[in-house]
Amino acid sequence: MGKEDAETTALKKELEDLINKCQEDQKKQQDAKIEDACSSVADAPKIKMVTKKMLKGHINKVNSVHFSGDSRHCVTGSLDGKLIIWDSWTGNKVQVIPLRSAWVMSVAFAPSGNFVACGGMDNMCTVYDVNNRDATGSAKITRELLGYEGFLSSCRFLDDSHIITGSGDMKICIWDLEANKKTSDFPAHAGDVVSISLGPDGKTYLTGSVDKTCKLWDLREETAHQTFFGHEADVNSVCYHPSGNAFVTASEDKTARLWDLRSDQQIASFKPPNSNPGFTSSGLSLSGRFIFCGTDDNNIHVWDTLKIQHNGVLQGHENRVTSLSVSGNGMAIASCSWDQNVRIWV
Amino acid sequence: MVTAMSVEKSSQAPGPGASGAEHSHHQHHQHHHHHLHHHHNLHQQQQRDEMATTGPPLAFVTQVHPANLTAPAAQDSPNYLTYKKMELIVEKMLDEKTGVPVKTVKTFMTKIPSIFTGTDLIAWMMKNMDVDDQEALHVAHLMAAHGYFFPIDDHSLTVRNDNTFYRFQTPYFWLSNCWEPENTDYAVYLCKRTMQHKTRLELADYESDYLARLQKLFSRKWEFIFMQAEAQNKVDKKRDKLERKVLDSQERAFWDVHRPMPGCVNTTELDIKKVCRNQSRPTTSGGRPETSTPAFGGAQPSAIRRLNSQRSADDLKKDIELLRQRLDRRITKVSKVADALMGYFEQYAEYDPFFTLPEYPNPWVSDSLEMWEQDKLPKEVSVRRVKRWAFSLQELLQDPVGRDQFIRFLDKEFSGENLKFWEAVRDLKTLPQKNVREKVMEVWNEFLGPDASCPINVDSRSYEMTKKNLEKPDQWSFDVAAAHVYHLMKSDSYSRYLRSEMYKDFLNGTKKKTSVKGIRSIVSFTVRKDTQAI
Repeated sequence: MGKEDAETTALKKELEDLINKCQEDQKKQQDAKIEDACSSVADAPKIKMVTKKMLKGHINKVNSVHFSGDSRHCVTGSLDGKLIIWDSWTGNKVQVIPLRSAWVMSVAFAPSGNFVACGGMDNMCTVYDVNNRDATGSAKITRELLGYEGFLSSCRFLDDSHIITGSGDMKICIWDLEANKKTSDFPAHAGDVVSISLGPDGKTYLTGSVDKTCKLWDLREETAHQTFFGHEADVNSVCYHPSGNAFVTASEDKTARLWDLRSDQQIASFKPPNSNPGFTSSGLSLSGRFIFCGTDDNNIHVWDTLKIQHNGVLQGHENRVTSLSVSGNGMAIASCSWDQNVRIWV
Repeated sequence: MVTAMSVEKSSQAPGPGASGAEHSHHQHHQHHHHHLHHHHNLHQQQQRDEMATTGPPLAFVTQVHPANLTAPAAQDSPNYLTYKKMELIVEKMLDEKTGVPVKTVKTFMTKIPSIFTGTDLIAWMMKNMDVDDQEALHVAHLMAAHGYFFPIDDHSLTVRNDNTFYRFQTPYFWLSNCWEPENTDYAVYLCKRTMQHKTRLELADYESDYLARLQKLFSRKWEFIFMQAEAQNKVDKKRDKLERKVLDSQERAFWDVHRPMPGCVNTTELDIKKVCRNQSRPTTSGGRPETSTPAFGGAQPSAIRRLNSQRSADDLKKDIELLRQRLDRRITKVSKVADALMGYFEQYAEYDPFFTLPEYPNPWVSDSLEMWEQDKLPKEVSVRRVKRWAFSLQELLQDPVGRDQFIRFLDKEFSGENLKFWEAVRDLKTLPQKNVREKVMEVWNEFLGPDASCPINVDSRSYEMTKKNLEKPDQWSFDVAAAHVYHLMKSDSYSRYLRSEMYKDFLNGTKKKTSVKGIRSIVSFTVRKDTQAI
């Protein structure tokens, strides 16, 4: 026991030194503030988005929303035990999919628009074929992905035959949907993996966790490339910058932050001027200039990511905003809330 | 003496019987606890009696019990176990002999029925729950926040260890019954309150605001809501005065839980994600520490370091290894990174609808479906689209027209096989597992094997690595070779393509055909102050 202690102490000492070195290394590279370095760029116009469509139909809290690759359809999952696929342009429901378990936490639309997936406290991920109906007329279940020891907290399609999931058992899994087989299954974080964002090059992805960290992964590998520290509470959402070199996060610690992969550190932090809400969700405009953050103060806050200025607030939801999704064409934002509504902002 | 502690309702849909039962309980005050032990039959009897005589007494007749819907069943709720635990404690508190002493206090003019003091409550908890006063106060506060007992004249559900008066909530309103009352119920309740002309029942400011909002929301249904409120008020009025006092306060406390005063915590609206997390996270030594990875960066290094103390040597070694790798990497200066992000914005502002009017009108604004029907429309490729091909090879290949152009260029150069190989490798990744093996061999035979029909040039290192990978073929077998080919295309063919007459012609061709209309630079855009993005 005593011997082990000595070894552990030595290791701890070594680790601590390394941590200090890393911090020093980061500090050394902090030669400017982003808002100063970007002072030459013209001010961004004030965002004047309004709710263009109010999508009504859920009768309980809506927990998750995700756009299809066509930038027109989106899927939402609610505690009323339904997935709804909406035509966000007409505001019509295209399909209502009754779920076996009402405790849905995460939904995903395949980029092709052919499949939707969801999961939650049923500890599995269910994939539905949007173009195929079962006997009752609702979308056919094509896969039920089992084997989780915790709830399913995030999922994203890589393509029609592959999906990646993060779960409450702190793992990341990648599934071959055709074979109904896991191709990867590994411990990723020291807490629930609550958010996944796929890289624009299709080779990497980011995860955010309640262990307060974010990690960068290569799809082929099971060890993280980079780990990002700084948030003081759960990271509720991560979103890749379209350049593939940076990302933003939204956290329970009441901040949203901008990070860069090349400088391996946080480069900006966002907080609303007149309130102190927790952040639930995040998204970026196509040029990466605007960050949109859903909060538990019912608003979606917008900042300029270069000048680090609060740009505006999208007001309308009457309860916590749980999730938001920026359409692929960058023209609209879908948001959902505990107020049971889904809004399309344009 | 606890009042109105009628029944457990969890197995029944709420109905007029519930508070009706309370009604008759009241008349059997002293027998109450005796009932509690075999109340089930008794209760049903009472319920039947009451239904016959009194009709709907409370605001909840219109309530649809969530359990009857497809909505989450009560027992599935992550909160359910917590509710049940608290309710076990409350049941003990309610015991006539050994519970918290409940009394009726007489003052100069009035009687205050069925109350207990904060001091008595905390004393009871310390005696019966083996906790000190601080912990007792904390638990009491949590239970009050869930509405199991409440201060008799305060909307704020807290507990103080003093002579403030508290009252128990009736089990009918306990959270395990899975209440999710709707706004119409709240409207009926508030409306009813306005009919009771008593100062102590006057609406608080926030309640008046809420009522006004609901009235607007339910304007068409308001007559119905008003009638309901009136009917309930009439029933209430028939009750014994002391009993009304108790029932009014219990109903108020119910709404304090479900529609809390601004600034109070809404305990019924916990984030299920966070609730699960708190349950699943082991907190004792058996569990994993909160952070298993080394931490640096701004946040509380001391806290994270503290966690390190619980970790195994293997974990530590792994982290040390990761950090060493991290230190071996060179990281970029923040000023450079900021420049790059700014550069990215400047390049892509033309394609971000928040900064430049998009090529196709925003369908949500213009009501035009062009955006989604562009494939059907015969339209030339716009100059800004062609410009984008010059940003990167990735951009060029992402655009189907750009890709076609590039293939034609490569064919002219007799190097089309490079792109074909790269695309075959890319497509390999989206294949289902079972087809991968076969496809890998196909790709090998077509591009790399000795008799390749369409041979590509790769360096010997990549070739050897790929050959070795074929012993265990998977979707990544060709990655090294593909990366090599991509690099080759990028540094060679792609840059020559951008300089070629072919690209320039295409760019100019589209420039001639499309007018400047629709292309506005960011500069001219930001000058016009009142112009709205999108």
